[in-house]
Amino acid sequence: MSTIAPRRRPRNGLTALRATIAGIITLLFIGPILWMITTAFKTGNQAFSTEIQWFFTPTLSNFERVLQGTSFGFALVNSLQVSIISSVVALLLASGIAYPIARFDFKGRSGLAGVILSLRIVPPIVTIIPLFLLLQSVGLNGSLTAIILLHIFMNLPLAVWLLRGFYEDVPKELEEAAQLDGLGHLSTFFRIVLPLAAPGVAATGLLCFVFSWNEFLFANILSNATSQTVTVSLTQYVTPVGTQWTQIMAAATLVALPVWLAALAAQKYLVRGLTLGAVK
Amino acid sequence: MSTSTQIGARAAVTPLGPRPGRRPGRRPVHAGRYAVMFPGLLFLAAFAIYPTIYSLVISLTKWRVTTGEEPRFVGLENYATLLADEAFWNSVRVTVVFVVFAVLIEFLLAFGLALLFFRNFPGDKVMRALILMPMLVAPVAVGLLARFSLEPTFGIVNQLLRAVGLPTTEFLGSPALALPTLIAIDVWQWTPFLFLILLAAMQGIPEEVIEASKLDGASWPRIIWHQFLPLLKYPILVGVLLRLIDSFRVYDIVFMTTRGGPVDATSTMSWQIYDVGFRSFTISYAAAYSWLLLILVLLVVNTLLRRMSSGTER
Repeated sequence: MSTIAPRRRPRNGLTALRATIAGIITLLFIGPILWMITTAFKTGNQAFSTEIQWFFTPTLSNFERVLQGTSFGFALVNSLQVSIISSVVALLLASGIAYPIARFDFKGRSGLAGVILSLRIVPPIVTIIPLFLLLQSVGLNGSLTAIILLHIFMNLPLAVWLLRGFYEDVPKELEEAAQLDGLGHLSTFFRIVLPLAAPGVAATGLLCFVFSWNEFLFANILSNATSQTVTVSLTQYVTPVGTQWTQIMAAATLVALPVWLAALAAQKYLVRGLTLGAVK
Repeated sequence: MSTSTQIGARAAVTPLGPRPGRRPGRRPVHAGRYAVMFPGLLFLAAFAIYPTIYSLVISLTKWRVTTGEEPRFVGLENYATLLADEAFWNSVRVTVVFVVFAVLIEFLLAFGLALLFFRNFPGDKVMRALILMPMLVAPVAVGLLARFSLEPTFGIVNQLLRAVGLPTTEFLGSPALALPTLIAIDVWQWTPFLFLILLAAMQGIPEEVIEASKLDGASWPRIIWHQFLPLLKYPILVGVLLRLIDSFRVYDIVFMTTRGGPVDATSTMSWQIYDVGFRSFTISYAAAYSWLLLILVLLVVNTLLRRMSSGTER
């Protein structure tokens, strides 16, 4: 005991030091975000004083003006549509590819998985040029459908790789037992595999939602005035007029909020999801 | 040894001949298993293979979409023009500087930060969750936030600079500072990403490995260098690769902050291609441009992968 006790004291000091440094670094990362959120709740006078006002009476007027007076409200609805539809379709299509790769031993399955992953390398500006022309020739440019299609394409490799891992995690014996009971492949998947892999599938869906929600390049090039997503809608603030910043920060906060919530919900799978299943 | 026993085993089986009722190559029962793959694969092929070929073909033509003229085949002319174009080489330089510095700084900071959080301390879970917030914000919104923060009169950065007696600085408007500022924005947003990956990987290192090194009298720096780095090689590779791939695409924050300027100080390849293709509508030139970007990305990714794999063999 006596030999251990003195050893512990410097360690506690070190822990306190580490906690302090970590606290300062944390502040550096969330400082701008805190400033963004507080500005969103400020009046013009509070925000544009030459000295930073730390204490103030919050107002919701910025959010009201952003949601009512501009196209931003419509963009929110568009974005919800695009993100939800593209995520659901991506999950369905990706499950179709991922489940056989996870379960059945067939020739070239790792090769196939590799090819799908390599699509992730191609920069979106490379993809968009031919697809812009193609979508234009079929008259889809400017529609939400075009954006949805590209977001499905963008999220498929990620979804395939993540789902493959989650389906592999389901014990094979359960499926074999179900098949002995006379269940077909499809009903085995929907009744046995999917419920067991549900948390992982949900997390994959949330990540697809986040990537679609935050996506800008495709949406910017393909949308028109009525099919703007939230990220495209934010570009209307590129040349701010006078003291519009409080509203801009309210809009930015509204764009960030759903993503923070989604990440919170999928927290457990965040590392796995962001590395396409490479790091668990 | 093992191969000879395998051959032996197989030789022992062959005299029995092919088993009745099991014909290799003819298994209609299993075809249905793979039918579910087709919608997804067809979708990927439609959006990957056909456009790739189409893009390559366009890049060999001269075509402005606005004039309504038909594309005219010109061979490799676009590529020759590009390689002689000062604006092209400027964009390559800007992109490479951005990618190298951003990813390097992010990695070093994230590694240090992960070491800091490696052992528990009060409040570490909450802090970790808070640090992740920047990377979840849409880059477009981050661009707006950066402009607001760096605004000369009431931006928080300049207010703080003035508070400590430093002069007001036009970060995004200065040719010398614009690119470093964009790198700083990227570092602020994406260090948390590498931090998250490295911390998860570090906490996955078996405690026995660390204990054994400590018993051998190894100091922490030695443990980190000789145990952590080799064990973390794979997660580091994955994290850095993903960051490399993403930082080559940098476009959103350029669009929202500098638009390639001042002059062309922040004109990254993605921005430049967008400018050529969708603002000047010289789509064929943009297609050739985008092929050179793809080749550059593939070259970098390949080099890194080969370096890392040759390192493991040794």
